Amino acid sequence: MKEISLNILDIAKNSVKARASLVTILLEESEDKLTLIIEDDGCGMKEDTLRGVCDPFYTTRTTRKVGLGIPLLKLSCEQTEGTFSIESRDEETYPDSHGTKVTAVFNKKHIDFTPLGDVAGSIVTLIQGDPDMDFLFRHTTPCGEVALDTRELRAQLGDISLAEFEIITWISEYLKEQYEEIENASPTA
Amino acid sequence: MTVYDLCKAENFAPVVCPAAEREITGVYIGDLLSWVMGKAQSGDGWITIMSNINTLAVASLTDVACIILAEGVTLEQEIIDAAIQKEINVVTTTLSAYETALFMSKELKDE
Repeated sequence: MKEISLNILDIAKNSVKARASLVTILLEESEDKLTLIIEDDGCGMKEDTLRGVCDPFYTTRTTRKVGLGIPLLKLSCEQTEGTFSIESRDEETYPDSHGTKVTAVFNKKHIDFTPLGDVAGSIVTLIQGDPDMDFLFRHTTPCGEVALDTRELRAQLGDISLAEFEIITWISEYLKEQYEEIENASPTA
Repeated sequence: MTVYDLCKAENFAPVVCPAAEREITGVYIGDLLSWVMGKAQSGDGWITIMSNINTLAVASLTDVACIILAEGVTLEQEIIDAAIQKEINVVTTTLSAYETALFMSKELKDE
């Protein structure tokens, strides 16, 4: 992937497929590290499935014999000498606490670090694609924080779909404004 | 030109060629795997310096004739085993990607 925001799209789509009701997307930035955590409460995976997901020749899809979302994210963080991990609890074994968590740590100062790209755009695309699913997004940087919780929006909106043009436009503007604010701020100690 | 012919050329050597009879019909150069995935064509000789398991997966998806590892890059044994199993041809060359492309261009034109 040319940008990490595209990786986020790819990985979060897996949560949609796992019938999650909430997907948490966290970006934690320090001076020299970027940690990406994507966690869902979907159906999860059993151990033997989990062992296969980093193998690009493995996939849950039947039409293609390779699935590259996870392997490519793993590769992009390992290229920066970062770390990658994936944990999962399957629905059958853990009926009350199932889900999957992907953690990728990047070294921002490594020459092979790919830029973050348009994360706000990715979040908007995800909400638009699955307006009935909830997303918690938080991006913390030394200059401040950008956050969005669709559960809070939904509480205000009642029955109105998040995919409505006015709503999705508002979400997009809301994220943009927050990003502008941290871009203009100086790092807090 | 087949993968077998390429392996015999000066500066080229096979790493693993389980389907050496495959015809090379074009060339693609790229190291960003997600990009190559959408661009490389079936039958291409794909010039790259990326030599991990994902490289094999992209070769399999795009159905390129062979992976050509430039700048003397080779594969670890574990990856070689996977290439045999997945029937993916891998050739190595001491040439740069540019020099490899020049050579291939001439060979493909002469056919």
